[in-house]
Amino acid sequence: MIEMGLDPDAIDDDDDTKTEILPEEEETVEDEEEEVEEEENAGEEDDEAPPPPPPEEPEEDEPEVIMPAISPSKAAVKIGGRPKKLVNSFNFSERAALTYNNPMRSQEVQTTPPPLATFSANVLQWVIYDAYQADYEAQQLEKELEKERKEKEKASTSRARPVRKAGKVQLSEAVQGRVLECWRVLERMINLNSYTEIAKDYRYWDDPSDEFRVEEGTLLPLWKFMYDKTKTHTVTDLDWNPYYYDLFTVCFGFFDFVKPINNGAVCLFTIKNPSFPDYICITDSAVMCADIHPKYCYMVVIGQYDGAVLVFNVQQSCKDPIFKSNNVTNKHRGIVWEIKWGPDLPDGELNFFSVSADGKVNNWVLMQNELMRLTIINLYLDQEAVAGPDGTKFRLKSCASCIKFHPDNPQIYLVGTEEGLIYKCSTQYSSLYLLTYKAHDLPISRMDFNRYNRDIFISASYDWRVKIWDDQRLEPLFSFDLGDRVGDVKWAPYSSTVFAAVTTEGKVYVFDLNINKYKPICVQAVVSKRRNKLTRLAFNPKLPIIIVGDDKGCVTTLKLSPNLRIPCKAPKKQQHLDQWTLQCMKLDKLLSLVREPVTLSLPSDTAGLEED
Amino acid sequence: MANEVEDTMKRIQSHKGVVGTIVVNSEGIPIKSTLDNTTTVQYAGLISSLSDKARSVVRDLDPSNDLTFLRIRSKKHEIMVAPDKEFILIVVQNPTD
Repeated sequence: MIEMGLDPDAIDDDDDTKTEILPEEEETVEDEEEEVEEEENAGEEDDEAPPPPPPEEPEEDEPEVIMPAISPSKAAVKIGGRPKKLVNSFNFSERAALTYNNPMRSQEVQTTPPPLATFSANVLQWVIYDAYQADYEAQQLEKELEKERKEKEKASTSRARPVRKAGKVQLSEAVQGRVLECWRVLERMINLNSYTEIAKDYRYWDDPSDEFRVEEGTLLPLWKFMYDKTKTHTVTDLDWNPYYYDLFTVCFGFFDFVKPINNGAVCLFTIKNPSFPDYICITDSAVMCADIHPKYCYMVVIGQYDGAVLVFNVQQSCKDPIFKSNNVTNKHRGIVWEIKWGPDLPDGELNFFSVSADGKVNNWVLMQNELMRLTIINLYLDQEAVAGPDGTKFRLKSCASCIKFHPDNPQIYLVGTEEGLIYKCSTQYSSLYLLTYKAHDLPISRMDFNRYNRDIFISASYDWRVKIWDDQRLEPLFSFDLGDRVGDVKWAPYSSTVFAAVTTEGKVYVFDLNINKYKPICVQAVVSKRRNKLTRLAFNPKLPIIIVGDDKGCVTTLKLSPNLRIPCKAPKKQQHLDQWTLQCMKLDKLLSLVREPVTLSLPSDTAGLEED
Repeated sequence: MANEVEDTMKRIQSHKGVVGTIVVNSEGIPIKSTLDNTTTVQYAGLISSLSDKARSVVRDLDPSNDLTFLRIRSKKHEIMVAPDKEFILIVVQNPTD
């Protein structure tokens, strides 16, 4: 009642006031009427009635005077004899009557109030933006539909395809993908928190004692990378991704051939996430080597213990290889020891080279839906053919263990063998070697070309030695004995004279020939000597870190202290030279000390001839 | 895909210092959680309104921009939030553990 704003008492009051007011109005109306009558009377007197007699007359004849006063018109008729002029043909009489008023009545109905709901919204700039965006999309969709419809009308025979049926499934798939992506980022955030101290060490800690130690450096261990399922495997190959400098490939296989392992894996780790590999490809045979395509950094080719080669596109799927060599006919007959992508063919087909213990170097081309194999060389030993068990003679082959392509000339490559020989070959000739180095006494594990001078390469072998070679020179320039089997050796990307090697003893050796030609500038045991053996090593192309792999499936990251990566200082007179030229000059100067001087042959004496 | 999501979530839970993980759907209702009931509800409600506000801030400054992640560092914890239109992922970590 109150909300409606009506009060019965108040209404009664109103009625009272109205009734009170009404009588007054009536009175006033009556008053007005009287006044009107008076005026009319007065008007009559003014117009027609003769002016009243002077005040003296009434005194004489009072009754006579009264008569005309009562009806002056009659008197006039009598007097003049003229037709009587009607003064007022309409005899007005106005009457007012008060009728009953219908009593005022107020009727009220009370309904249940409509439900209340508070609604509040902010219209922000981005809400408007979104609305417009959605509208625009709807318009585009409309246009497309229109187009489709027109096309359909044109080709009315074709039936409607079941396109939008899987819409909802696709949506949830997309959401799942987003969820996964978010989880991955969150995992990295968590790692960022838990490995913050190592990250700070990596970023800021440079061994301060380096300033006081001359010609010596240290390695600072940083993150360790492991994967639960490959803890029993040996790290058989390591390599940084050519495009993402924080991503590296680790191959898990085995070197201890007395205790074979059935499966293997390739893991792509990033230093941003030390707890878990970003990509995992599990294979059914031990993985011995892998390589990432320099241009398409998601193409990973791996070589296996059983001689098969597989190509993965890790972006698409880590489970199924996109190419796989045939397990029976189209494969190596030995362990694939090293694999390398070659430069793309003129038609754009990808291809790679593999070396295996069966003494063959194969070139594999990725055709439309198969791998095409081409044996580019059979590594026959330089020996007489020997008699086989059934009397036939056959030539012995050497077992290739590593391959390295010349960085500038992709036709030239070096093959290291288990006999300790290094063959320099060309892809153009399949039956002859350009050169044979009698390099080592035991299997060669790895070789590497110098980044600055392409004629210089280094080789490591299980005969404990690391040797540096010059092209076209059968004797090594340098030879170092490291006291145990050398698993891997690599030139540093930042210096022309620095290289590093790992031995099965668990030590990392770093040499700088410019500082010391005889001794390493850093020897550090990275893993425990009794339990672990180091197998492989890789320099990061950008950052001052190296990674080393051991036989317990663990990869350790090591930071090089400042003494191990001293940049070249330009001499005072040649300040304009850049680092590359300085590094080349440094190496050339060093080589000139070791190389035999070019023997000068005397020109033939032509003195007497001219006279003739 | 769903399997991988499960695995990643489990792995995150096993990480050092992780107190709990919560998955909240688009209506603000927690679907999955490793924390107890009351804490989960509290986190879900508070974080979803905060992330809405944060998104509003980012988008108001530039409508074509969007909020992707949110990290709240407190004295005791770090709360990491991945807000999306369809879901919100919350991880609570104790970074000093």
